[in-house]
Amino acid sequence: MKIGKSLLALSLVVALCGCWDNTDINHRVLPVVMGVSKKDSEYKIFLQIPEPIQNHTLIKIVTGSGSTINHAVDKISANLEDHVDLLHVKLILLDKKYAQSGVDDSIADFMRGRDVSPKTLVSICDEDLEQFFIKVKKKMEPKGTTLYDFFEKNAGWNPQIALTRVWEVYRSIHSYTRDVAIPVIRSGASTVVQHEGSGVIKNGKMVAQIDSDETLLFNAFNGESTQGKIEVMDHASVLITSNSIRHKGTMIDGKPYLKSKIKLKVVIQETKGHPTSDEIKKEIEVMLKSRFDQMFVKLQGSGADILGTGQYFRNLIPRTQLKDWRTQYYPKLKLDFQVQATIENTGFTNLQ
Amino acid sequence: MDKSNHVVLVYCLTQLGFMFFFYPGNIISSATEGHWIPIVIGMLVNILVVWAYMKGLSYFPKQDIISIYLGVGKWAAFVFLCPLVIFLLLVNIITVRGFSEVISLVFLENTPVWAISGLFISISTYMAMNGIGAIFRTGVLLAFLFLPLILFTFVISFQNVDFHYVFPLLTKNFSFLWQPGYIHSFSAFAGSFLFLGFITPYFTYSRSKMMLALAALVPFFILSVYLPILTFGQATASTFNFPFVVLVSTVHINWLMFDRVTMFLLLSLITFAMLFISLLLWEVSRILKRAMPKAKPSYLILIVSTLIFAACLSISSWQDVQMLFSWNVSFRFFTLFAIPFSILIIGLRSGRRQKVENR
Repeated sequence: MKIGKSLLALSLVVALCGCWDNTDINHRVLPVVMGVSKKDSEYKIFLQIPEPIQNHTLIKIVTGSGSTINHAVDKISANLEDHVDLLHVKLILLDKKYAQSGVDDSIADFMRGRDVSPKTLVSICDEDLEQFFIKVKKKMEPKGTTLYDFFEKNAGWNPQIALTRVWEVYRSIHSYTRDVAIPVIRSGASTVVQHEGSGVIKNGKMVAQIDSDETLLFNAFNGESTQGKIEVMDHASVLITSNSIRHKGTMIDGKPYLKSKIKLKVVIQETKGHPTSDEIKKEIEVMLKSRFDQMFVKLQGSGADILGTGQYFRNLIPRTQLKDWRTQYYPKLKLDFQVQATIENTGFTNLQ
Repeated sequence: MDKSNHVVLVYCLTQLGFMFFFYPGNIISSATEGHWIPIVIGMLVNILVVWAYMKGLSYFPKQDIISIYLGVGKWAAFVFLCPLVIFLLLVNIITVRGFSEVISLVFLENTPVWAISGLFISISTYMAMNGIGAIFRTGVLLAFLFLPLILFTFVISFQNVDFHYVFPLLTKNFSFLWQPGYIHSFSAFAGSFLFLGFITPYFTYSRSKMMLALAALVPFFILSVYLPILTFGQATASTFNFPFVVLVSTVHINWLMFDRVTMFLLLSLITFAMLFISLLLWEVSRILKRAMPKAKPSYLILIVSTLIFAACLSISSWQDVQMLFSWNVSFRFFTLFAIPFSILIIGLRSGRRQKVENR
């Protein structure tokens, strides 16, 4: 009996370890970046695959096309000597033209499928993907993770870069009151990539573009930390050390009215001439406010609520009408953006 | 022998094992706003039912519900226990099949479902064959191993929460009461508390501790629904089959060496589900043993689990699982209401009779 039981237990191990039809790690390729473009209803997929060789990593770019993303990946997998496993894709790079025509289908497929993780980063490439990968490949070796590190918060990320994941894009397709901004990049002249701002996505379609200064305000508006960004003005440049924001939504005569007050703490870096700290303070406040107002006009025109302003009216507008937020309320929204800057210190020297 | 802590622990584990999978999806599909109202109504019903069940059982120290019904008459045992056995079998089939589907969805995509459910049921069968003591001891072990992990995933799943999604809080729309999703949401409660009526010959437990455990579970039920809503919003969350599982897979932690936190949650919950299945198997075997006193309980369990496995094999799609869910509705509400309240009524009557005799 005892032998029988232990045999049974041993046989369970086979099933327990879950290695059914398993492909060993050395027979898998794990792409880090996936580029997606679409031409005449045919998808073209680019996979950036790191290949560790002794002390450094070689980078392989493979491409394939098909009528769906999975079809294209499957073709690549069939042509490669190893099995393609999308589990570790860290960045999905969408072709700008494809993003403008609408990516909701692909995003919904990523969410449905089990291989691409919902927290994969999404980015838009403002360049022909083929050219982009050729240029980037040359500069990326021998590390190979550059494209991904660019967006990592503990590596190359900067506060003026929007960070958007697959699930957030998916949410924007369905949510009544929330859209997203996706960073736009292209290959750089001296650096590997160059940040071009952010694409404004409405229901899975890119409808406008904001530059990186505006993206900073977008991040600040959403309560992200903008610590470390340097703002340059006519008389001084300052370093933002912390920021916080408060929103209050009210309905006046059936029109939405949002008051947002951002508090910034800054440290003075450089000055030109002899500005007083009050002058510098004023300058920051006026500059940021006018920049924000310009951006908001652009956003309102595009109809995309990437700032998530509708969120602050969820308790004021009944759900049945909230459905029409983007068409009925958002164009009428009055946004009162106030900046309150505090100069934390002026460094080792006094301001005269 | 007082085993309150064990009883409470096993009850909580079986509840936790269920609530993160089907419950959030059911509630989110049944109501579009003010989700706390359906949740609280469900929880109140559950608390009332468990209270009635325990109160009724307290009139019969050292007797399980089979003896209680047999004490009333053979017909009573037949009327009440037959649907109960069918319910337990159906729940077993649904749980085994449903959870193996979830496992294959989330990580074992290449493994055929029969292998997963086979593994599932064989471990549960082994636990059930060793009796209630073994199940309880396993429960304590699992609690020590996995409850901290569950709490950890629970805490980190607040990462992407946007509290504005909580609105609108109130609703005048009570149509959720008739939504199939809401009716199915009661499957999270039905089944878990039944074991209290089977363990009475072996252990005693304190009723107040059980009630405390029920109260402690309320926030978990509320959060299991609200965390996906706060992260995705109702409109998006309603597109997922398992909102909580998707929610956990969106959590991104830099310092954690594991890429997917979903694994932790899922693997822990699956062990809880195994515990639940073994508990149900054991209950079925207790009832069948009374019907066939000569049979050996472990053989009964083996036969029952083989039947369940066979049934799982014949279910080919997720839609069939949903269909089983709807078939089970009448049995579910029968066990949820008829059994506890009948026990309470029988108990009250016998209590009165005893008082008259003592006079």
